[in-house]
Amino acid sequence: MDLERTTTALLNGLFDPRNAAAWEAFDRRYRPILVGFVRNCGVKPTEAAEIAQETIVRFVEEYREGKYDRSRGRLGAWLVTIARYRVLDMRRKAGTAKIERGESAMIDLDDDKSVGAAYEAERRHALLREALEELRTKSRTDPKTVKAFEMLVYHSLTPQVVAEQLGMSTHDVYLAKSRVAAKLREIVVRLEQEYEETPGDWEASGARPSDGLRA
Amino acid sequence: MSGADASQAGGAGCGRFTRDELELAAIARSDPQAPVADGLPAHLGGCPVCAAIVDRIAADNALLAEFAHAAPMPVPSRVADDAGPIAGYKLGEEIHRGAQGAVYRAEQLATRRTCAVKMLLRGRFAGDRERIRFEREVEVVARMRHPSIVTLYESGVSREGEPWFAMELVAGDRIDGFVRANALAPRQVAELMKHVAEGVAYAHRRGVIHRDLKPGNIIVDAEGVPRVLDFGLARSDDEGAAEQPGSGTTLVGEFLGTFAYAAPEQLSGDPTAVDSRCDLYALGVVFYECMVGRRPFEGARSIAELVTQKTMSAPERPGALNRAVDRDLDVIVLRLLSADPARRYDTADALVEDLTRYLDGRPILARDDSLAYVVRKTLRRHWLASSAGAALLLTIVVSGVALAIAYARAERERVRSERTLSSFRDAVGSVNPESAAGSAQLTVEQFLELIEQNAASELSDEPAVLAGVLDTIGIVHLGFEDTARAEKSLRAALDSRRVLFARGECGKAELADSLHNMGRLLFLEGKPAEAEVDYREALALRNDAFGSDDPRTMLTWRHLAACIRRQKRLEEARAMFDEILVRAMEIPGYPPTELAAIINSRAFIAADESRYEDALHGFREALAVIQRELPADDYRIGRSHFNIATVEEKLGRRLESTHHAQEALTILRKRKGGDAATVQKVEALLGRLQGGGEGQR
Repeated sequence: MDLERTTTALLNGLFDPRNAAAWEAFDRRYRPILVGFVRNCGVKPTEAAEIAQETIVRFVEEYREGKYDRSRGRLGAWLVTIARYRVLDMRRKAGTAKIERGESAMIDLDDDKSVGAAYEAERRHALLREALEELRTKSRTDPKTVKAFEMLVYHSLTPQVVAEQLGMSTHDVYLAKSRVAAKLREIVVRLEQEYEETPGDWEASGARPSDGLRA
Repeated sequence: MSGADASQAGGAGCGRFTRDELELAAIARSDPQAPVADGLPAHLGGCPVCAAIVDRIAADNALLAEFAHAAPMPVPSRVADDAGPIAGYKLGEEIHRGAQGAVYRAEQLATRRTCAVKMLLRGRFAGDRERIRFEREVEVVARMRHPSIVTLYESGVSREGEPWFAMELVAGDRIDGFVRANALAPRQVAELMKHVAEGVAYAHRRGVIHRDLKPGNIIVDAEGVPRVLDFGLARSDDEGAAEQPGSGTTLVGEFLGTFAYAAPEQLSGDPTAVDSRCDLYALGVVFYECMVGRRPFEGARSIAELVTQKTMSAPERPGALNRAVDRDLDVIVLRLLSADPARRYDTADALVEDLTRYLDGRPILARDDSLAYVVRKTLRRHWLASSAGAALLLTIVVSGVALAIAYARAERERVRSERTLSSFRDAVGSVNPESAAGSAQLTVEQFLELIEQNAASELSDEPAVLAGVLDTIGIVHLGFEDTARAEKSLRAALDSRRVLFARGECGKAELADSLHNMGRLLFLEGKPAEAEVDYREALALRNDAFGSDDPRTMLTWRHLAACIRRQKRLEEARAMFDEILVRAMEIPGYPPTELAAIINSRAFIAADESRYEDALHGFREALAVIQRELPADDYRIGRSHFNIATVEEKLGRRLESTHHAQEALTILRKRKGGDAATVQKVEALLGRLQGGGEGQR
């Protein structure tokens, strides 16, 4: 585990306004999660990006003011509470007409369980994307093995077709899949440690963020 | 990696079952449909080696399924690992070099297939913006699979740090060159454009706008299928999700597309004004260019001039430059080229729908806001109750006028249309019920007359435009069966166009329009002999102007035959209708409603000759066709019911006759108003059937 990359390390770095690296790393980690979460509330892409940005800025302000104490609640719950206020505020201003329709899995913002599950799903997706990027760029996994995995998983080709196209045996294709899965599992476990957000215990007790609207 | 896998490199599990079979057993845990080898479930109970492998495979599959769901499409940035600049590819000749990238023919070493590799120009020296744009191109294309869109294979970063991607190599010609080389007819161009529009519609449904459609980006492959290339400028709707604010690839005021194909709102440089409808505009330019051989706005010397042209004037209709382009295609293309995005099709899917209708010979939807159609559809009664009604009618009449003035030359058009519009504005202002001259009970007829007076004084020095306006107004009067007013307007238009035609200031097409309309009026006034003269002249002119297969020419011919029938020259009329029917059936995509009209006319002759069963057969056939093609309350359906009712009456079948007459009455009253002559005829028939005055008004 890279101790510089843990959420604890990033949060510590955030205390120093000149620590651009901590700010950027925190933003890179949480912004896509928040955008995905807000999008699932039926918000349009550009507005979602804006809300995610505002949420992070507001969080960092509150964090620096000492309002957020990690021992008393999960980071994700805190972030989501800020984002939720923003979404409700936007809905109130725009009227319900502006909410995109047809979202099959629209989050019920009044239901803590639904909110928690949605955040958790987005967080996990972000983590998996990061793992995949690491597999491709940093791991020493043989490119042909990665290629076989991509063809199987992303192009939905049969092992026989993949074997034919890459000049391997079907058995080797299965082994490639198995190797990549093992590598990804290893990366995922490490990243989960770095994120330091164990699932469960969503309804944290303790302080709640302000409504993020600033009277 | 797991030790278990290494130990299994040679075989699978204990060796009793193949790896394939163990994989299927793992899949079967989540998918009961998966086939499982005989005896394998029982074997797993007693063989811990095989059971462990199946467990492991199932766990791997679950994890990978999670990945497939969470991280949509690979956008890998792999570093090269063999001799060439790009891992796994052997680069060949340079195929194309554009503003952002160079494209090479390449061979994918693993598969030996030929493909195209695109690399960003200036390599590692390219700025962040170029790189972001390039990466976006990969993201966008990678998500799409459509026969009209090139397929992306994979992407990465070269040894030198240059981003690249490998895509399908499409061998073929640019669409404009392909159309020229094969001398394609407008209809064939429409077929190609339908395929292109399907690809664009597919992308739009995924939130992807191309923003740089042009002939160079549309390649027709060896199978004759057009393929859209180069999503270099594409902007995905969900880009906000991935992008840092401020690093947007489109800066305000910056515009990178090719000017000639850019929609006016793209030229404004305001990225927020641009949506998927800019692609529809670009398709309109490509469509136009492929049909007439030049772009709609040529000759602008500066971008500023081009912007002015695009926003202030309408392009000349394609049919004026290429006779083979028929009216439906004119309407479709001009709609795509509307300066105001709201006047274009709402979606690329709507364009696909209209092109499909056109190719199937069905009425296109873009037509639906044509003048007479909307007037009839919207105003059930003959009066305007409010100024809102007046504003509506203004819109309707102005769009009719816009068609009329599309005949005018481009350089004077803007001035003319402004003057025409202002004369209409004055006319509408004067009917405002709140103004002194206004009246809340103004009829459409009176309103049109007011417009006519205004136009006559405002446009006295623009006789060609005035004639177009008068012709349009005349047709509306005729639609309401107000023959007296129609005659006045149509006669003035025809006289004026004759003079202009002699001076070379009016084309054959316009004079033929006036003659045809006059013929129709005279026919409706019960003067078939006089109508015949005008129709014959119109037919000769339309033949010259549009060719013999054009629907407009065919329509005049059919009307001429009807005049002959009305004069009781039945033998001659029947021969002419037969000839028309044979010709119409040979014209690909001939509108079924027109075919129905010809069948109907032949049935009339049968009725004239007292062959009522034959007549009934024809009328029913015609009704069946138009019921498939037209809205249920279209007045032609009403007419058709009336025809059947008349023949049924002759055959003494009062019940059937009454049924059809009532159907006819409902539709015709709604579409024509209670006072129309046609409606009175139906009411008279019903009166006879019911043996008394009931139904008479």
